[in-house]
Amino acid sequence: MAEMRKSSINPALVLVAAGAGWLVPGLGHALLQRWSKAIVYFFAVGILAVLGLWMRGNVFSSNSADAFDMLGFLADIGSGLFYFLAGTINPAGGDVSRASGDYGTRLFATAGVLNLLCVLELLHIGFGSKEEGHAAG
Amino acid sequence: MILNHFQTMVIFALAVSAAFAFLSKNTMRERIRYAVWAFLAFLLVAVGIGWLMYPFSR
Repeated sequence: MAEMRKSSINPALVLVAAGAGWLVPGLGHALLQRWSKAIVYFFAVGILAVLGLWMRGNVFSSNSADAFDMLGFLADIGSGLFYFLAGTINPAGGDVSRASGDYGTRLFATAGVLNLLCVLELLHIGFGSKEEGHAAG
Repeated sequence: MILNHFQTMVIFALAVSAAFAFLSKNTMRERIRYAVWAFLAFLLVAVGIGWLMYPFSR
């Protein structure tokens, strides 16, 4: 059975790591030396976000009056740096007139929500409310 | 980049099942088992629902 460990990490470092983890997926876990998690989260979020943008998914902005668009914005902003680089990664912008663009919209939103989940896990690890196995990495 | 629905779903399932495995399991063995199980479940459920909806697509 895996040996369980609880964290005794400086709370300030945890908050900085959470911010870094939101901005660059996986960076927060890397700061807490959870290397394997950092790599998997970076690639999982990164692949979904970049693919979503390449497929010309719609990226929601904050100045929307529609409640569903606002939810879309909250999901999209979760992907951190990828949200701010959306225009660079796909200069053509979104095109949801084709199914591919619609899939892209979902992929990009999934990337953001997944990254927020990773940040939440990081806070759980950092503040010691999550027990980790010996090989948790 | 143009991917069809199935290709998109496979990539989605791969990324999400890997992330969920690392979020929810502690040992590498558990993570691999969970990731494979979740990946196959994503595909099976999606194909199953697609198959069930097929009669309504015409």
